[in-house]
Amino acid sequence: MPGKASRLDCSSFSCLYPELSHSGRIMSGASCKANGAVYPASSVMMNSVKKPKMEQIQADHELFLQAFEKPTQIYRFLRTRNLIAPIFLHRTLTFMSHRNTRTNAKRKTFKVDDMLQRVEKMKGDQESQSLSSHLQLTFTGFFHKDEKPSQNSENEQNSVSLEVLLVKVCHKKRKDVSCPIKQVPTGKKQVPLNPDSNQTKPGSYPSLLVSSNEFEPSNSHMVKSYSLLFRVSRTGRRDTNGLVNGEANENIDVTETPSRKKRSSSHREDGETTETYVAQMTVFDKNRRLQLLDGEYEVSMQGMEDNPVSKKRATWETILDGKRLPPFETFSQGPTLQFTLRWTGDASDKSTAPVAKPLATRNSDSSSPMETRTSTLRAAPVAVKDSVSTDVQMRREQVLCEPRQKLRIFYQFLYNNNTRQQTEARDDLHCPWCTLNCRKLYSLLKHLKLSHSRFIFNYVPHPKGARIDVSINECYDGSYVGNPQDIHSQPGFAFSRNGPVKRTAVTHILVCRPKRTKPSLSEFLESEDGELEQQRTYVSGHNRLYFHSDSCMPLRPQEMDIDSEDERDPEWLREKTATQLEEFTDVNEGEKEVMKLWNLHVMKHGFIADNQMNQASMLFVENCGAYIARRNLCRNFLLHLVSMHDFNLVSVATIDRAMVRLRQIQEELPAAEEEQQDQTLTMGGACNGTAVTSSGGKQGKRTKSGVTD
Amino acid sequence: MEGASTPVPLHSQKKTMTAYELRRRVKSEYMRLRQLKRFRRADEVKSMFNTNRQKIMERTDILNQEWKTRRIQPIISVLTLPVVCVQCTVDSGFSEFSKQVIPLKTLNAVASVPVMYSWSPLQQNFMVEDETVLHNIPYMGDEILDQDGTFIEELIKNYDGKVHGDRECGFINDEIFVELVSALTQYSDNEDDDEEEEQDFKVDKMELCDGKEHPEDPRKDPLISRTNNDSTKKFPSDKIFEAISSMFPDKGSTEELKEKYKELTEQQLPGALPPECTPNIDGPNARSVQREQSLHSFHTLFCRRCFKYDCFLHPFHATPNTYKRKNMENLVDSKPCGIDCYMYLVQVSSHVTQPSFSFIQFHFLNFHSFVLVFIMFAEGNSRCQTPVKMKLTCDPEAVDWSGAEASLFRVLIGTYYDNYCAIARLIGTKTCRQVYEFRVKESSIIARAPAEDEDTPPRKKKRKHRLWATHCRKIQLKKDGSSNHVYNYQPCDHPRQPCDSSCPCVTAQNFCEKFCQCSSECQNRFPGCRCKAQCNTKQCPCYLAVRECDPDLCLTCGAAEHWDSKNVSCKNCSIQRGAKKHLLLAPSDVAGWGIFIKEPVQKNEFISEYCGEIISQDEADRRGKVYDKYMCSFLFNLNNDFVVDATRKGNKIRFANHSVNPNCYAKVMMVNGDHRIGIFAKRAIQTGEELFFDYRSVTRERLHNTRFILFIHIKHIMHDTGRLQSHILIG
Repeated sequence: MPGKASRLDCSSFSCLYPELSHSGRIMSGASCKANGAVYPASSVMMNSVKKPKMEQIQADHELFLQAFEKPTQIYRFLRTRNLIAPIFLHRTLTFMSHRNTRTNAKRKTFKVDDMLQRVEKMKGDQESQSLSSHLQLTFTGFFHKDEKPSQNSENEQNSVSLEVLLVKVCHKKRKDVSCPIKQVPTGKKQVPLNPDSNQTKPGSYPSLLVSSNEFEPSNSHMVKSYSLLFRVSRTGRRDTNGLVNGEANENIDVTETPSRKKRSSSHREDGETTETYVAQMTVFDKNRRLQLLDGEYEVSMQGMEDNPVSKKRATWETILDGKRLPPFETFSQGPTLQFTLRWTGDASDKSTAPVAKPLATRNSDSSSPMETRTSTLRAAPVAVKDSVSTDVQMRREQVLCEPRQKLRIFYQFLYNNNTRQQTEARDDLHCPWCTLNCRKLYSLLKHLKLSHSRFIFNYVPHPKGARIDVSINECYDGSYVGNPQDIHSQPGFAFSRNGPVKRTAVTHILVCRPKRTKPSLSEFLESEDGELEQQRTYVSGHNRLYFHSDSCMPLRPQEMDIDSEDERDPEWLREKTATQLEEFTDVNEGEKEVMKLWNLHVMKHGFIADNQMNQASMLFVENCGAYIARRNLCRNFLLHLVSMHDFNLVSVATIDRAMVRLRQIQEELPAAEEEQQDQTLTMGGACNGTAVTSSGGKQGKRTKSGVTD
Repeated sequence: MEGASTPVPLHSQKKTMTAYELRRRVKSEYMRLRQLKRFRRADEVKSMFNTNRQKIMERTDILNQEWKTRRIQPIISVLTLPVVCVQCTVDSGFSEFSKQVIPLKTLNAVASVPVMYSWSPLQQNFMVEDETVLHNIPYMGDEILDQDGTFIEELIKNYDGKVHGDRECGFINDEIFVELVSALTQYSDNEDDDEEEEQDFKVDKMELCDGKEHPEDPRKDPLISRTNNDSTKKFPSDKIFEAISSMFPDKGSTEELKEKYKELTEQQLPGALPPECTPNIDGPNARSVQREQSLHSFHTLFCRRCFKYDCFLHPFHATPNTYKRKNMENLVDSKPCGIDCYMYLVQVSSHVTQPSFSFIQFHFLNFHSFVLVFIMFAEGNSRCQTPVKMKLTCDPEAVDWSGAEASLFRVLIGTYYDNYCAIARLIGTKTCRQVYEFRVKESSIIARAPAEDEDTPPRKKKRKHRLWATHCRKIQLKKDGSSNHVYNYQPCDHPRQPCDSSCPCVTAQNFCEKFCQCSSECQNRFPGCRCKAQCNTKQCPCYLAVRECDPDLCLTCGAAEHWDSKNVSCKNCSIQRGAKKHLLLAPSDVAGWGIFIKEPVQKNEFISEYCGEIISQDEADRRGKVYDKYMCSFLFNLNNDFVVDATRKGNKIRFANHSVNPNCYAKVMMVNGDHRIGIFAKRAIQTGEELFFDYRSVTRERLHNTRFILFIHIKHIMHDTGRLQSHILIG
């Protein structure tokens, strides 16, 4: 990989995305040796590289910004918004299922009563558990690579003594000038020096327990933060190499005052005859957030006797023998202490330690600079070796993400019609735009593809990990592809809310579950045919907002299934038939009434066949019999039946039966129930719509003879 | 209103009215009445508008209530909080009104929907008459008016220059005429009052003097005044008619106007119904009338095809007189209905018809009646026994038959004939015996039960089958004949004439339907199918003839079953059953609105009927001119006589757009005597797909040669360029 390209990319991309710059800087630092661009501020460095190319670089940089700045800013905004007011939870996505720590296995046996029991039990447990939990440190060894393998070293010294102190930085009281610091010694151990990893048995490592009681707030002082101070004393020769390895830790010094203070104190205490290396790690920061998770750590130690570089002269380079040294070189060069950290609780409960919250990755909470340090120490390994907790799920995961090997992901940004490219490398599986830890390459790719559709991502296998080609999606039109109901059904609700909200379900029954293809990275490979088509999401089904045909009002989800406008007898038609009959001057009111009732009845039920008429007549009596009886229309009704019979539509038997039924209804009718009349009038759909007053008040204009003409 | 109606008395006028003055008065009165009418109309419109507003308010209230019940967060959230609160001020400019200030609130932009002109929903076609006047002069934007000024003129020419509401001069209708006459009468009456002393009046004026005293202003309500002064019946003077006649010469001479006035006023006598109108049989003043009169309204207004009274689709109804009874029902009950049953009378009087054993049974059943019957028997025996000329066997009870009862009896006797028990049961207020007695009294006017139809001798089953086979052959022939024109079906009615070349159905190349007055054995009738399958292949004669299965003819395919459920085995009866698919309206992907299907459909599945107003071809030509200008038309040729226009009334499928590569096709089918347009799926259609059909190639299947058939339709598609392109197809 050409160094220039990568260097360029680092700085420019960091400009776009300052948050990214932390991890990005480091990763690239790890990947290419020639990198000096630790901070964006190091443009001085670039200047010195080659003057004449400066303008070209500038122009290139402009093009890069032009292409990627806007979408990146948008995604950055969305990321922040999603943290504050998530629209969905990532763990609910199928390809992110590993982020979901819960299993549904217990649901089958779940009982409501259990909830109370569980709460009660938890209350009791809480105290004991917190008491019984420990911070367990198992030290693998102290490595000092540049120690020349000499005989005596093998003979006389294969271990160093390690002292671990818990440093409590307390809140300043009014009288205090600086924060009071308490140091609690937690123990001393002999740690093997440069052990051979395949020789020693895992059980034989020295380990140390720090009770979590220590982390409880003490009554005397309000403790602001806790950190562990490792002090390695080594008797014998001094380090003659003159290695200045403190650059990384110098960073700490700049940012973290307590640690410097303490170190100076330790310096004072320390004896002269021995070499002393110190390092400090924060357990809880001042916001009482846990900084040290379960995992393997390798801490770069610092020699005590070195004069601290004065802050004024501090640069970001790491100098080794007068040459600049990338920060990670300190791990291969300088003395390091390797240990495994575990939070242990009861024997039964393996991991009582707080596990990383899905969204609260250390990178995402960029509020305190200390986090930078943590990742400085051993960022990628932490991410990978997180999998200490032995879960089945974890093991499955390892298959995919090649756990032991450092997975490096190179983002290759293509722009200016794919003619130019810049490369950015990262060592973890966090999404560069929303810092979401995807934990699997497949999940990362899927996430990128689905959540950042303003870009096109193409996966290219790479010997060291993966390469992802990022280019601008020209087809992205910003059109809304979600449920159209969400736009209008809850105005101002769909996109601005304070938490996940249950949506209106459009589909009530899930008829089929589409066959999911097995997750495979090959789906992210660049396809040759119709790439542009693929970028557009083709959604079949109801992906648009529908409207009522009568009012042009949006159709609400609960109205989807009702075909309200397609009724056989719309209101206007019912009114029309009534008024039309009312217009006749030579039809008496009794006839009109029965005709109207019958018309509404037929319109409602939509009779189409002659042989339905017997049934229709009986239904008519059932529905409107009471009304007919009340309005005293029985004889007119009989005339109607006889007329129907004259048309050969009903049988004599039907007339008989209908009239018998009508008589029955008439008898069942309570004598004085006039007030109910209106109710039944509106209630029965068939009787409904008699909008016109019963007695023909208005003089009509039509005559039935005119109709038959 | 009241102020306008009070007359301006012309007291100053002392001399005899000259013809000119009278004429002037006619004019002024006429103008006054017209104005009155306009005011009234304006008030009506106003109140109508208010009621409509009320409806909208109610609806809004309902919606607002609904909103309140929902959990809604304000649109302004933490993220989108407006940066500055802008004040919005309204300054009146007058010092006495203070400035009104309110914080400016910006609402989210709402995407507009395509334009939609209002229309009324409909699920069945609706026939309307031709419009003889242009109802509105269409406005299509200024640029079109500028470009093509002649268009409106041509349009008005189509309507012979008649435009709705354009009748300020010379227009007079019956209502105004009557009012005008009564108003003028009042004037002349007033004059009479004033000029009482002067005796040099004409003779006709003198006659009028009788009615000079009116207790109330007769102009306000001429009807009431007329009733009050029924005894002193007056008639307006000839002079008035003369004046009106000279004023409106096109309305006829003086005599004609006089006659017309007489006619109009007599009709409006209070309480009096027009002579054809039978009084309500359930009402207090029901009269005893003949059967035909009682049933006249029901017979004339009932549409045998729609089963509705005064239906929307068929303007001409056949009266049932000529319908023949298909099967003689068992008319006479075998057992007497009760103690007062007529049978006891009849049996006594006619041994011959009734077997005696039944009689013997009776007196065991009821000992009390036995005695009675025995007496009757004795009496009846001595009297005449001819059943036709019946006489009362005993003294008829003095029963009152009300008008309603008598009418009802005459109605029922035409249906039930000799089944007096049933008649009595239906009348309800009279016993069987009383009915029988009444029957005897009325025997002279009541027709006998018709004998079995002699015209059509009963046929054997086998022959019917053969007949059906020939029909099927005929259908094939008919198809090969490839008729050019498809005419509207009209039930034929030519008594005692077989359906030959003179039959309108035959000449129109239509089958006779069950609605025709011809015999059910008519050669021109379509026999229906005998399918046991789904009737969706050309194996089915109905399908082949582009007809839907008739539920009264096709009894095996399932078209006459499962009325309630949607899954009928016969797939060829969807239009009549209204088995439409659920369609959804949304802005189209092509242009304007579009229609989308909710559920997937198979190929050839019925989607919806294309409904609308049925208008004549002439009317379609006239309307089409306007639609063409609007570049949006919903005209759809139905047959040679009629066109379906979904512009004003229709259903959702009207929003389907045109495409040259459509997913639907339209087919005009004969459905129970009506031509109807069905829209079917041309291929399998997925959920949420927009529906298109090719406006140009509708129903090539049968009507391929027809010129101008099935579409005079013009549909325009807006292209990306914004240019309008029209696809016009003629022929």
